[in-house]
Amino acid sequence: MEAATSNSARRVLTVFFVVLVLFLYIPIAILAVLSFNDGDVTFPLQGFTTEWYSRSLSNPSLLAALRRSAIVATASSAIAVALGTLVAFALVRRRFVGRSVASALFFSPLVVPYLVFGISLLVLLTAFDRFLADSTGYVIGLGLHAVVIGHVVVSLPYTALTIIPLLERLPVSLEEAAQDLGAGPWDRFRRVTLPLLTPALFSSFLIAFTLSFDEYAIASFLAGTQATWPVFLFGQLRVPSQLPQLVAVSSVIFFASLLLVLTAEITRRMSARRYGEAFASRGLA
Amino acid sequence: MATPEGAGSPVVVRARRGDGRATLGLLSGPLVWLVLFFVIPVGFIAAYSVGAVSLFPTDSGVLSLQEWAHFLGGGSIYLGLFWKSIRISLTVSLVVVLLAYPVGYYLALCVRRRKYVLLLLIIAPFLTSFLLRVLAWKVILGEQGVLNSFLSWSHVRSPDDPITWLLYGQFAVMLVLAYVWVPFVALPIFVSLENLDRSVLEAAGDLGASRWRTFVRVTLPLSLPGVLAAFLFVFIPTIGEFVTPLLVGGPSGYMFGNAINNLFTGALDWQTGSVLALFMLTVVAGLMALFGRFLQVRSVAAG
Repeated sequence: MEAATSNSARRVLTVFFVVLVLFLYIPIAILAVLSFNDGDVTFPLQGFTTEWYSRSLSNPSLLAALRRSAIVATASSAIAVALGTLVAFALVRRRFVGRSVASALFFSPLVVPYLVFGISLLVLLTAFDRFLADSTGYVIGLGLHAVVIGHVVVSLPYTALTIIPLLERLPVSLEEAAQDLGAGPWDRFRRVTLPLLTPALFSSFLIAFTLSFDEYAIASFLAGTQATWPVFLFGQLRVPSQLPQLVAVSSVIFFASLLLVLTAEITRRMSARRYGEAFASRGLA
Repeated sequence: MATPEGAGSPVVVRARRGDGRATLGLLSGPLVWLVLFFVIPVGFIAAYSVGAVSLFPTDSGVLSLQEWAHFLGGGSIYLGLFWKSIRISLTVSLVVVLLAYPVGYYLALCVRRRKYVLLLLIIAPFLTSFLLRVLAWKVILGEQGVLNSFLSWSHVRSPDDPITWLLYGQFAVMLVLAYVWVPFVALPIFVSLENLDRSVLEAAGDLGASRWRTFVRVTLPLSLPGVLAAFLFVFIPTIGEFVTPLLVGGPSGYMFGNAINNLFTGALDWQTGSVLALFMLTVVAGLMALFGRFLQVRSVAAG
């Protein structure tokens, strides 16, 4: 390592790293500070207030949007974790014809622009509604269910990718031992595999949750009149008088999601380390 | 106790009778979901773009490639807009990779303790509100924004003469997109440098190569797959971007994605919109076909 980089180069890189971290965090910090400003979202600061926070708590349409996002994020991540677990088991534990095609399909939502995917789903659901209206007279319409459907598709690669590495490290011998002791496939899964996978499931849920809670592009096409938090936020950005409140709520969400992400990451690392010690024969990153 | 086989290379249960059915059982749920809600929708806009589907009275409803010919022949403003968006996205991707490479290099090769904590510090902003991060720049760059009010407060510029070109233009779009994507691509670059065989670097040094020469001739070429992956990871989402231009772009920052968004939500010309959307998807798919093997999907979850 010492051979690769000279001391002066290392110093330059350290400075660059610090500057980049500042570049990443200062804009967010500015917003956080301004959310306590007794005035507009501008400098110089006018004085300290928590009025925007308390006012946002009594803004019914804002709270409704937050609630909708919480519902969508919970539902879509639960489904995405369940489906992601199935994908992980199939890809890690099974050999089958068309495995590479299936794997390409499961991960392709990672590289399709959300805009294109969102409008595709919009077209499909609209066409389906038209068909439904013609044949039965009923329509389903857009709404939170449509957003959930879309968010599951884009979260699925992330949940599968979080579960796969842990599943790969999980020795089959434990399940075989359970089998030898007379456990059926379901018991084996529920009493042996599932508990061992829980940390990965937990962290993949949190990743999917933060992704969904923050997702604007897809939701903007599919939410209809039931604006989720990002859709609501976007709509209100043009109203200057609303800005301080929005900044206040966004700051809370920022720190909450930071906390969530850190929790997910720490859980994942801790479990990885635990397995690393228990099954030391496999080198860990 | 784990047997070496059990804990070793990726575990695959040996084929047994009934295994095919079990595999299908595992796959059916995710497959059905993706086919119904991902493959079929994309097929639908393909059908829409050639007039095989029509949902509005204004749609032609006649099967033809006319809309495609009109677009590809440059008969509308959209092809020019596409090239402009390509230019913006390429610039952003380049800037982002140039910013992220030194960080990945620093974390992989210069830091020994707490490198994952520092990596997380870089990545964390990406996992938080996208709109908030765009909003922050709107607040900073505006005519009454943080930067201008700071300049007038410190008497560098008169309050009546704010810098107006900061917000609402291509500059703002590119700055904000770079800001948004730097955290994301530090990861693939870091991973490719972290997995570098260190003994190769030592060998280059032992053979008399200077540090700079080692970097240019050994480290950089070996990390190029990661760099390319990073480039694609920025280019693909930014070419489909429409939110950032809406918020900070103004008329001159209008992108191809904005045109698609507008055709679907404002102008309600879904057929033209489908042509543009499918064209964008084709471009992305082409890029993936060319460079996809460098994309290790795992690196997005390897933090």
